[in-house]
Amino acid sequence: MPYILNTEKDIKEMLTTIGISSLDDLYRHLPNQIKINKKLNLPSGLSEQELRSFIIALAAKNKTINEFNSFLGAGSYKHYVPSALNSIISRAEFLTAYTPYQAECSQGILQAIYEYQSYICLLTGMDVSNASLFDGGSSLAESILMSLRVTQRKKVIISSAIHPEYKRTIYTYLSGFNFKIQEINFDQQGLTDINQLTADGDTACIAIQSPNFFGIIEKLGKISSLAKEKGALVIQVANPVSLAILKEPAAQGVDIVCGDGQALGGFLSFGGPSFGFIATKNEFLRQLPGRIVGKSTDKEGKTAYCLTIQAREQHIKRERATSNICSNQSLNAISAAIYLSLMGKEGLYDCALYSLNLAHYLHGRISEVKGVKINFSNNFFNEFVWNVENQKTVIKKLYKKGIISGLALSKFYPGLKGGILSCCTETKSRAQIDEFIETLKTILN
Amino acid sequence: MDNRVIFDKTTPGRKTNYIKKPDIGIKKPDELLPQETLRNDLILPSLGELDVVRHYTNLSRLNFSVDTNFYPLGSCTMKYNPKINEELAALCGFLNIHPYQPEESIQGALELIYNLEKILREITGMSRFSFQASSGAQGELTGMLMVRKYHKINKSKKRKVIVPDSSHGTNPATSSMCGYETVVVESNKDGLIDLDKLSQAIDNEVAAVMLTNPNTLGLFEENILAISEMVHKAGGFLYYDGANFNPLLGITNPALMGFDVIHLNLHKTFSTPHGCGGPGAGAVGVNDKLLDFLPCPLVNKEDEKFYFNYKVKHSIGKLRAFYGNFSVLVRAYAYLLRLGKEGLPRVAQNATLNANYIKAKLKNYYNTASSKSSMHEVVFSCVKQKERGISALDIAKRLIDYGMHPPTMYFPLIAKEALMVEPTETENKETLDYFIEAMLKINKEIDDNPQNIKDAPHHTPVKRVDEVKAARNPDLRWQCKKIGA
Repeated sequence: MPYILNTEKDIKEMLTTIGISSLDDLYRHLPNQIKINKKLNLPSGLSEQELRSFIIALAAKNKTINEFNSFLGAGSYKHYVPSALNSIISRAEFLTAYTPYQAECSQGILQAIYEYQSYICLLTGMDVSNASLFDGGSSLAESILMSLRVTQRKKVIISSAIHPEYKRTIYTYLSGFNFKIQEINFDQQGLTDINQLTADGDTACIAIQSPNFFGIIEKLGKISSLAKEKGALVIQVANPVSLAILKEPAAQGVDIVCGDGQALGGFLSFGGPSFGFIATKNEFLRQLPGRIVGKSTDKEGKTAYCLTIQAREQHIKRERATSNICSNQSLNAISAAIYLSLMGKEGLYDCALYSLNLAHYLHGRISEVKGVKINFSNNFFNEFVWNVENQKTVIKKLYKKGIISGLALSKFYPGLKGGILSCCTETKSRAQIDEFIETLKTILN
Repeated sequence: MDNRVIFDKTTPGRKTNYIKKPDIGIKKPDELLPQETLRNDLILPSLGELDVVRHYTNLSRLNFSVDTNFYPLGSCTMKYNPKINEELAALCGFLNIHPYQPEESIQGALELIYNLEKILREITGMSRFSFQASSGAQGELTGMLMVRKYHKINKSKKRKVIVPDSSHGTNPATSSMCGYETVVVESNKDGLIDLDKLSQAIDNEVAAVMLTNPNTLGLFEENILAISEMVHKAGGFLYYDGANFNPLLGITNPALMGFDVIHLNLHKTFSTPHGCGGPGAGAVGVNDKLLDFLPCPLVNKEDEKFYFNYKVKHSIGKLRAFYGNFSVLVRAYAYLLRLGKEGLPRVAQNATLNANYIKAKLKNYYNTASSKSSMHEVVFSCVKQKERGISALDIAKRLIDYGMHPPTMYFPLIAKEALMVEPTETENKETLDYFIEAMLKINKEIDDNPQNIKDAPHHTPVKRVDEVKAARNPDLRWQCKKIGA
């Protein structure tokens, strides 16, 4: 039997030691009426050889993004991943270890997470970061719950230009409580409509994504001043790669920054696993959810790391914990730290700069195509919205030519029925963009 | 080894080019975006590839892991993570698909999810599964929010959730996240749920009872059918925390035990690696009563085509963006196909056998938390050792010197000086014997040289870490004073 090492002889000896005569005896105290007294209705186990061919064939039924000229982004971004990253992160000493409960035999994990936390603080300008959450959507939901705990208020304001799946996650996470969620529309420019923002004394937070779901950089400074007047916290969902060039959240009055870390060297992987990050100011440290690693010393005074500030967590505080989170996405977080180390200061900057430039090049070219309309602001990072009549037909025709033009926004915003969200990262080339434009021209003419 | 943090190893000007400069005129950010949206400087280190490879490779070598050490961490099911599953999860056809690609281009991924669900339905007896949850705790949240919504729609006034005092901390924490009051029911002297106390606690305001079975003492809740009847009579749901499902594979299932909603930890029972704390995956299964409440989308099949079904009548919505930790699902599916119908009960039996073997060999030296028969894990209560001056913590740390990861300590809370040992089925008898021998040597060392135990571990990169200092003076990140200087 694969992966089970006990031989028949071992089993016999062990049963004798225990003082029973068969493996079935291990279960004799289970009530008979709940026992499955037949074989499971499943196939017999496969040899590794058979399993490999079977799964390879299944994977081959997918057409990967590499087989298309794709401009999909919308929360999942194809960036170049250095080979060294996969090599390091595949090491079994990272892959097959668990949460570093025993600090003395987990120093490598702990230091790597400490470095991850430091990287998140450097990118966001914040004081403290945790060791990761699940993904962007749940990290936003946890950020909002955190703001409710910090302020002890009952109302949250969220921008409708936040990723629609993140928004849906917020509603789910808050569904057990009687908090009020107010959604603020976006304006003609695709920015959160500041004129609609009416925070009051019961507002716990204003949650904004920037660059928002449409790729546009929000006016966070203004939103922060509005929030501060009423004592509400500002939560920003950020794309970590964009922070190589965009103003750091801390410099714009943001109190909690969160988001998805997939862009930092993570594969698309059909949307998961990635990881969620969350960072905040020192004053809110005790309300952070999830694991945190701290630097300390061992009893001989040597630098040593360990899990810390655990009096927030479920295994200590149980029903009074800041969150129920236990397992997180450590491997993906450590992977992001390795990615940032490999890319370095200049590499990450170039990655963001090239993405910005290619997206703006596409924007410039597509805006000249007859039949294409662009209404939203030009202040976008790596993705933007363009409009075309018969959006679905156009998308299909492009797809037939091997081009995935982007995400049809009508999926989430019925009001934006001609809108398509297209993205460029550094993995796109001028030739691919030009091909897209030429094909689009042919289709529209 | 140079154990400075990566930031202190920077050399300005050092870099590796990984990406291509596009052949369009590259403009500076301030030519494309307003100056006020841009940051002034970015502090990140500059390193060469070998600098980075060596740094993290050396860090990895400071860790115990399943591939390098026996890792009997109770409740975590640290079984071997088969290598073939890593290879398959890393196939280009799985890694390089975007969540918003057209359905016709992702039929393989959808088929995999569909097939995995079918197998889990057979193993558990549940009607349908959602794979959105990224961990057991998020699975609990998913399940309990469904319970909450069910009660809301049926206008039943429920405000409490019952958990036993032996429960995982995630259970009461989840109950709070669903807006419920947690009621704790004490265990009886055997370590099982006290039926009398449970029946006193159950009333019409109870939304659900959350249970782990086997419980965290490694004991099977033999009265599970009576419990199920009690909960259901009061109009509540029975929630199954599947963290300990490993010893029951093919032996019994949650549906037969009367559970309505469950989560399985794919990273425990189905061998996907724990990755220093994640990613995992919590597969959430329900019976017919809760079908309409599942998160969306589900994966359905019609005319040989697989598609996302968003039409779930009372869906609780989404727990995260996209569909879940897909590459974890690939590994779990590969594992299940490899084991098959004969293999799964063997997994259960050998996991139980290994735990009971350790128990039989050590029970005369270390008290067990219960006299009841154990399942896949055994909880020792090191009170006899404590009386002689050595705590469960000391024993745990001394085990590190023998090259073994310590068992879970001080959990469940109802056992004094607890060490929770879960060997799993993938360990061989020699390893179990080595563990037993180490435990016996430590027990003897308490009388011969207790200080040596208190000073343990001796052979690790650092000695016992000052956790009090870490919490009192939090140093949670590298500070950027020195960089570039």
